[in-house]
Amino acid sequence: MSDNSVKTSGKRKWSMAVDIDKCTGCQACVVACQSENNIPINTEDLFKQRRAIQWIRIERYWEGEFPNAKVRFIPLLCQHCDNAPCEPVCPVYATYHNQEGLNVQVYNRCIGSRLCVNNCPYHIRFFNFWEPSWPDSLKNQLNPDVTVRSRGIMEKCTFCIQRIRRTTRESDKNNQQLKDGDRRLNPACVNACPTDALVFGDLNYVDLDTGEKSKVAKLKEESLSKNGRGYKLMGELGTEPNVTYLKKVDADSGHSSHGGDSSHG
Amino acid sequence: MKISRRRFLKLFGGSVTAAAIFQACGIPEKELIVEAPLEMPEDMVSGTDNWYATLSPGESVSSGIVVRVMEGRAKKIEGNPDYPINQGKHNVVAESGLQGLYHPDRISSPRIRRGDRGEGKWEEISWTDALSRISESITNLKKSSGLVLITDPLTSHLSLVINQFVSKFKAKHIQYEVIEDTNLRWAVKNVFKQDRIPDFDIDNSDYVLSFGADFLNTWKSPLRYSRGYSNFREQSIGHGRGTLVYVGSHLSLTGANADKWIYVNPGSEGILAYSISYVLLDKYASELNISDKKDWLKVLSQYSPSKVKEFTGLPESQVEELAHGLAKHKNPLVLGGGTVGAYTNGMQNLEAIYTLNVLLGNLGKKGGVVFNPILPIAMDGFSDLSPDLANSSRIDELKSGDLEILLLRGANPIYGTPGFKSVLSKTPLIVSFSGIMDDSAMMADIILPENHYLEEWGSDIPNPGPGYPTIGFQQPVVRPVFEKRGIHLGTKSFPDVMMALAEIQNIDLELNASNYENVLRNMTDELFKLNRGSIKAKNPRDFWNGVLQRGGWWDVDDKVSNHKIGSTNGPRELTPAKFLGDKNIYPFHLVPFELGSLTDGRGANLPWLQATPDPITTVTWSTWVEINLNKAKELGIKEGDIVKITSEYGEIEAFAYPHPAISPDVLAIPIGQGHESGDRYSSDRGSNVLSILATDKDKDSGAWAWASTRVSISSTGNNLPLSKFENTAPDLSVDAHGHIIKTTSGESK
Repeated sequence: MSDNSVKTSGKRKWSMAVDIDKCTGCQACVVACQSENNIPINTEDLFKQRRAIQWIRIERYWEGEFPNAKVRFIPLLCQHCDNAPCEPVCPVYATYHNQEGLNVQVYNRCIGSRLCVNNCPYHIRFFNFWEPSWPDSLKNQLNPDVTVRSRGIMEKCTFCIQRIRRTTRESDKNNQQLKDGDRRLNPACVNACPTDALVFGDLNYVDLDTGEKSKVAKLKEESLSKNGRGYKLMGELGTEPNVTYLKKVDADSGHSSHGGDSSHG
Repeated sequence: MKISRRRFLKLFGGSVTAAAIFQACGIPEKELIVEAPLEMPEDMVSGTDNWYATLSPGESVSSGIVVRVMEGRAKKIEGNPDYPINQGKHNVVAESGLQGLYHPDRISSPRIRRGDRGEGKWEEISWTDALSRISESITNLKKSSGLVLITDPLTSHLSLVINQFVSKFKAKHIQYEVIEDTNLRWAVKNVFKQDRIPDFDIDNSDYVLSFGADFLNTWKSPLRYSRGYSNFREQSIGHGRGTLVYVGSHLSLTGANADKWIYVNPGSEGILAYSISYVLLDKYASELNISDKKDWLKVLSQYSPSKVKEFTGLPESQVEELAHGLAKHKNPLVLGGGTVGAYTNGMQNLEAIYTLNVLLGNLGKKGGVVFNPILPIAMDGFSDLSPDLANSSRIDELKSGDLEILLLRGANPIYGTPGFKSVLSKTPLIVSFSGIMDDSAMMADIILPENHYLEEWGSDIPNPGPGYPTIGFQQPVVRPVFEKRGIHLGTKSFPDVMMALAEIQNIDLELNASNYENVLRNMTDELFKLNRGSIKAKNPRDFWNGVLQRGGWWDVDDKVSNHKIGSTNGPRELTPAKFLGDKNIYPFHLVPFELGSLTDGRGANLPWLQATPDPITTVTWSTWVEINLNKAKELGIKEGDIVKITSEYGEIEAFAYPHPAISPDVLAIPIGQGHESGDRYSSDRGSNVLSILATDKDKDSGAWAWASTRVSISSTGNNLPLSKFENTAPDLSVDAHGHIIKTTSGESK
């Protein structure tokens, strides 16, 4: 780790692994997140203005042209960087790194300067240019555990912090270990993903019964080792993301892809 | 026949909604009652949630879901980890159920038409009034077959109730699919000698060849196959990373995820399948142990790779490579569907394709075609699994028949079948059960809005099943939203209404149940007596609770181990596909395709689904036409140009989307928009590609050949910004330096 990184000294360190080879691009994670986190409905106008909000999105890249065209999908979400470029630029400290490794957005402190989204290299932050609104009956669906943001507020993926809070509070109170892979803990996107391309967990987890580490910790370690498929997204920028991506396997090509080796973060 | 208030209250009064909380194991001692926000039970704590298991309907199979309910409101849907089909996974359609439940345009009471049909003038009436009118018309029927029901394909208990109704009333029942699966069902019957569609064990395969079946997104049971796909790609499991090859005329989502996409001339996919069969028998017969089928070469020799090049457009080496791939992998699997089964020779194509599995010897094997057993209890009167169950030829018959009363439920034929309007003009009474306005409901005389599925009881027998007997159960997770309008207004359960109609006519449906919930309970008593399967209980009541808790009953130990298909039909001469429209006037093949969000058009009223980007183009809220990049340049067409797509049958407008991965001979347009009437989200939006399709039928099965239309394209001169999610830059998004998506060619963790 570089000297500039923020040290997280909490007991837990949340992390995600994304297997690009398994992601089919189906958008289940996108809609699950919108449902869980009270994200405003993206109307046609919002798309045309390029102001649609998707805390997790699937980016699609092309390679080649017909008849040899290839499509690549990559889910993009807040990387919860240990060295987040968005944190130092906020004039009012509305975004900071918490003890569990999460990049936290404080809605009621945000004044909408938008310096954070400017500095984020992944463009995973979204600004409410308009006041979110729903027809009255659709408000019945809103999640009471999540704040509804108003116009002028930045928002982004929180790793479903409301779920983390609810489950860790309960398990701490009951003095029981919250098991790795617990569906009440997993963010909405992770539970939805039909191919298990998304894996979430605590890097510092050690199962009290079996001594096993969390699935995400194992994936991170194995994949970032010598022959592994793991990499950090634009890791060379030094942001130290807490999301590990697993490379897509291009079985058709007989060669390694352009872009060189993964950079470790 | 007028219904007395007393009788009405007897039919509908006082039904208490009871729900059992989802629990992976353990059976509660008593049922819980879910209350609406105004009336809290004493033991409900604010701020805590309960999860209830139920089902979310899909185009083919329902998925098991669990719904988070807080203070009587449904907040979040997730997959039911126990339900065999999806095992905890869910998709955009399942998630969006909540918006359907709380939709601002839901119809909250029965309505009667005022003004002309289609004018949209309605007056609210009571259930008593509505049912009286309908029952009077039934009494006055000239012919019993003048009463026609068109429903979505029904399974399980709902099919039992409706089948009884139809047989006792001597009425007609048509099960309706927009994108019909008749050819697939015929291919399965002819090749595998089965009525039930088998499970495809993608999980354990190491080489999957799909001809047009978009199984990761829209075909048959996408959640189950996606689950399998995860295992398939998992490198650490025995066979290493599986290889997926997709053959098709359009790059579907499955094609986009394939290791290789092979384009062949539309309609020639069956020829390619036989060509591969030829190579398998010619070169790999002893390896595959199929030397006994060498006599097939007599017919297959005309399909040798060199001879079919002009039809498929594929070089010989490509065919050889495909055959090699299939022969050399230990667990190859071949699937077919989509447009491949939707030409005038669609059924033949699918037969040729599924026969490859016979040659590969994967029937009943791990990683292959896994047959589904029949259900262990007497299912007479349950779903008709015959291939013709939803044949669009039956819809055609209506055009010449004498319809007196048409009941529509879960079907929107005005939207899905070109020319259906002519049926309506001869029908004196049209009744729709739709809970929200759509093209067909707009043309009704009476609307009897049914409950949303989250407010409903039900069951589903998935077809394709997961390889063992499975019955999913559905329970209301919230009280009906419009309950507050009182017993004479609001929405009601469709099967309850049908049972009530029968009672009013004094016809005994012989269901031994006073309402639909009890129909389900009766059958669960039968299941309980079997004393096997996933629910263990001491008495039928506990068993019922257990079934509702887990979302269904299944028996993983009841598998088919010995289904013999007997002698396989050998190959036959394939009839070339016929395309509607002169090639010179209509130079392009039109490929209509389904989106994972809107599917056959039913998703257009849900904003989340409209706002879900198509994964490949990222377009939302619109109808677009995918045209080859270079072809577009040649024709002077840019992205966002509003173009006219013309067939012999009609013309629609769409946004042009120059696309790097489509053949210059093909234009592809998504199905789903262009509703003539609907709610605020689906109305006045896009175009209905189904309306310009040729009405040609499959020459063998009579199924609609919806992929057999040729079209032309022309500019209108207008251009508008396209509602899409991707970049604004005019260049294609290419990750030129591999910063974002890194790839590796080898296998490694």
